[in-house]
Amino acid sequence: MDGLTINNFFDSDGGFDSGNGANEFVDLEFNYADSDTHLNEIAELYSYTEHNEFQLNVKAFEDQMEMYKLKPLWQQLDKDQHQSIILKLIDQLEVLDNTMRMKAARTLLYLAQGCWVEVQSDDEQQSLSRYNVMMLYRLGVFQAFVELLNLEIENAATANVAIRKIAVSLADSVDLRVILSVLYIITEVMRAESERTDSEHLDLVDAFVQEISQPLGDELLAVKLLGMITRFCSGSAPHFPMKKVLLLLWKVSLVSLGGTETLKKLKNEYREKEGLPVITEDTLEVSRTMRASSPPPTAGNDDNMAKRSRPFRRVRNIVISESLMKQSSLDEQEQLGMEMEAQNAENEDYIPDYYRQFDDPMNGDKNGMMHNECELNKQPSISAATTQHPTLPWEPKVRQKDIYQFMDISRRKFIGYTLPDNCETTAGLPNPICEGINILKRHLYVSLADIQVKREEEIARNPLTKGEEEVPINPTEVLYQAILPNLPQYMISLLKILLAAAPTSKAKTESINIMADVLPEDMPMTVTQSTKLGIDVNRHKEIIVKAVSAILLLYLKHFKINHVYQFEFMSQHLVFANCIPLVLKFFNQSIMTYVGSKNIIPIMDFPSCVIGEQPELTSDLVIGDSEPYSWRNIFSCINLLRILNKLTKWKNSRIMMLVVFKSAPILKRTLKVRHAMMQLYVLKLLKMQTKYLGRQWRKTNMKIISAIYQKVRHHLNSDWAFGNDLDARPWDFQAEECTLRTCVDRFNNRRYFSQISNAVRFPDQSNVGGNQNLGLNANNCDNSIFNGIENELNINNLLNSENLLEVDDHFELTKEFKNNYEAWLKEEVFCANPIDWNEVLNEPNLVLINEIKNAIRYSTYFMKSG
Amino acid sequence: MVMEASQQNQQTQQPIVRRNRPGTTTKEFCQWPDENFEEMDSTLVVQQFIQQMIRKDPSNVEKLLNMPDGQDEGVWKYEHLRQFCMELNGLAVKLQTQCFPATCTQMTATEQWIFLCAAHKTPKECPAIDYTRHTLDGAACLLNSNKYFPSRVSIKESSVLKLGSVCRRVYRIFSHAYFHHRRIFNEFEEQTFLCLRFTHFVTKYNLMSKDNLIVPISDAVSEIPGESEA
Repeated sequence: MDGLTINNFFDSDGGFDSGNGANEFVDLEFNYADSDTHLNEIAELYSYTEHNEFQLNVKAFEDQMEMYKLKPLWQQLDKDQHQSIILKLIDQLEVLDNTMRMKAARTLLYLAQGCWVEVQSDDEQQSLSRYNVMMLYRLGVFQAFVELLNLEIENAATANVAIRKIAVSLADSVDLRVILSVLYIITEVMRAESERTDSEHLDLVDAFVQEISQPLGDELLAVKLLGMITRFCSGSAPHFPMKKVLLLLWKVSLVSLGGTETLKKLKNEYREKEGLPVITEDTLEVSRTMRASSPPPTAGNDDNMAKRSRPFRRVRNIVISESLMKQSSLDEQEQLGMEMEAQNAENEDYIPDYYRQFDDPMNGDKNGMMHNECELNKQPSISAATTQHPTLPWEPKVRQKDIYQFMDISRRKFIGYTLPDNCETTAGLPNPICEGINILKRHLYVSLADIQVKREEEIARNPLTKGEEEVPINPTEVLYQAILPNLPQYMISLLKILLAAAPTSKAKTESINIMADVLPEDMPMTVTQSTKLGIDVNRHKEIIVKAVSAILLLYLKHFKINHVYQFEFMSQHLVFANCIPLVLKFFNQSIMTYVGSKNIIPIMDFPSCVIGEQPELTSDLVIGDSEPYSWRNIFSCINLLRILNKLTKWKNSRIMMLVVFKSAPILKRTLKVRHAMMQLYVLKLLKMQTKYLGRQWRKTNMKIISAIYQKVRHHLNSDWAFGNDLDARPWDFQAEECTLRTCVDRFNNRRYFSQISNAVRFPDQSNVGGNQNLGLNANNCDNSIFNGIENELNINNLLNSENLLEVDDHFELTKEFKNNYEAWLKEEVFCANPIDWNEVLNEPNLVLINEIKNAIRYSTYFMKSG
Repeated sequence: MVMEASQQNQQTQQPIVRRNRPGTTTKEFCQWPDENFEEMDSTLVVQQFIQQMIRKDPSNVEKLLNMPDGQDEGVWKYEHLRQFCMELNGLAVKLQTQCFPATCTQMTATEQWIFLCAAHKTPKECPAIDYTRHTLDGAACLLNSNKYFPSRVSIKESSVLKLGSVCRRVYRIFSHAYFHHRRIFNEFEEQTFLCLRFTHFVTKYNLMSKDNLIVPISDAVSEIPGESEA
């Protein structure tokens, strides 16, 4: 390799080989946060192949300054001159001539980048960038660039050129990338600013947050970007630079919705409003103090290898598995999966350091995390050193449902009958049971979701009295309403990109090419160049995964606290779009390689690549930084695991998908990453499916079971490991998903009637907007009664529903009606109100509602008058 | 009877109705006595105050822009811009007699600068008169939007920031009129001093760069006796 030095050389496709073994035994000192450091987040915006374009920005700046007859030295000008120049540039952004416009845009980009030609250090560059960005924002550059983005998105010429090309390259997205970069830098600097405590620009930050949380022009910026992603995925705009779009979408959403801290604050705020106690436990905090478990020893190795090497065991295992098969209620295919799993697990017995796995965090020797190697053949020391968790890390929880269940069972057992929905009276129950009930009640946890679901049920039951509900408008609500009509497409597009960016995907088989914004026009000629490009491509993919996973998780979290059915709607569409197998596929790789990957060339990162003396590009490139892990990859992994958790929690049908897709061995391998938080989420995923994995799996994975006991929150009297749970009967699964769907649809129909009706009922003309909306809004008053009417399937419900004007399902026709039905037929069916087809075509909704109303009115009239 | 009573009432207490009721003659239009800023007590004080000053002497730019003590600067800027847009409609009406899509096909002042019309979702190339109409409509929409300007007593910082782009776009109407319809421009400017006022306004509040204010205001100014500001 000419002139390439690689820190911790590794083979990018192969495993994380033994040469690196030391890393595997040290806990990763990774701190999960909403995002990486500001410097890294900025550096990730640019790919290494864009390096040449930095010079174009300086050139544009110098040209502009020459035009203004000024020296091209930004720092020598005073504030008024700065403002004047920026204002002139903004003016220039609106001229007809594209080259003039882009010249101004590039100049502004150079200013946002912190005029790096004039500075000596990163710090200087950053502070200048901050100063400039604040001024740019105050003078309206952000808005001007959003308009420019609109213009460039619709630029049919570039799109047509790109579609016809075989290989789309960097050159096709030059203008778009300049625009997106400026928007991203402003957003990211604002985000960093909002985290400062001593910021003198807080008013600007607030103004910015408000601006991006509201539609700019007629569209939310986030929706515009999601629209770009969908267009890219549909193939009509292959030149859109996806990485920058995704990064911008992520940051815009993060700044507008808020990160972890905001979520925590909002959750407690909402809980207090509902009269629920606030939550003091913080997942991040708790998992930070946890220690990582040692991974299951074979987890990281290739399963097949392990199997082959132990032929004797294998025979025995099959016998065991076969005998197990008879007891199990699971179908054969899953049984086979388990069998394989059992074999692998059984082999672990041979590994000498077996016993030292899963050091008990309760024994918590502080040095343990550093010196696990020394303990290799020892039993875990039971030294009573200072403990980090004198008790279990989490407060146990109990659901209301669990209490009911427990009381029902106890009553049936001791009294012989049940009192449904009563958990107050303990009459006739023996003392120990009462005590148990008390303990359960003490740990009762009512979530926001429970309250919201209950409220929805009430509204559905009494639409007239309870239907009036004020929906508080906050950034999340605005976002939800804006993405609701096209949410399914957005989810599919995001997942498509995630799939294409997953390290295990083959580039050729993908329908979409996410490499367009990294590949240069000319392919590399030398080995150095191609190594560089290889790293660039991998880095590019990793950043895309990072952005997509962060976006999805952020949305899920915000929707969940805003309204659980918003969350359910999004998660259902993620599930329909095969998010669960996709994430599992993602983890079905050499996870240690991914976590430890070093797809970074520090000297090529912005701003290092432009500040100071530049080394010859062909000599001495140092690949990889000094960190033992890749921040962004662990971040993505944790995000994806959390998404998986969010999708599957308490949903038996989806947990079953985890089982069907054989997630257990994949997850087990993921445990190899020695990071407590990541392991926690893996263990949670394993915990929820343990009851389906069978006795053999539990038997061979007792270490995992005890890790779950130690680290995951307990639900008192939850039978997670042994599968006697009544809710877990497999035949209910489909019904469960359908019920949920119905609830979500009812919620959406009730609250967002006008938003969805266009998309659901007129999918081809969702752009028509205006006129149709007016007509539909007029019906909104009927909406609370006739909710769901636009869903053809619901019409039957509607007609049968007892809530509606007390029309009984099994009513007897009155004598009156029987005697006069001919008149009724004549009036209502044959001649009266001939259907006005024009009206039907214009406003099918209104006509339908009126017809049904008439019919109901008529029949009730006849029934009542009798 | 009722009329007499009310007339009498008016004479005794002299309540002043500062409204142009339907049927008001040109002579009586806006002919009510001035009121001190401190004594105005409607929610539209600032507008009332600005309009009163303009009626008094539209050429006294300095005084017009002199913000009363304790006034919120955001509101002050907003109300001024609102007033500019309202009066600019007068120029637009005049332009319609001379500026046609067929003759002025592009929004341009000097040959170097042809501007896109930002009133559309994707900015596009509109004829000058359409640009004028679209921009004024867009400005009116924005300034009356309940979302950005729900109150005229206090205005959010984020909304104040939107004023700059309105100024930038509206100014192009002046420059187009000046360079292509000089007669109309002069006629209008003599009556209203609108461009002069606008130029001072954007310079004072740094809403536009001086170099972009291409209409030479000194010409117009020199004709006005007693005007010292150049």
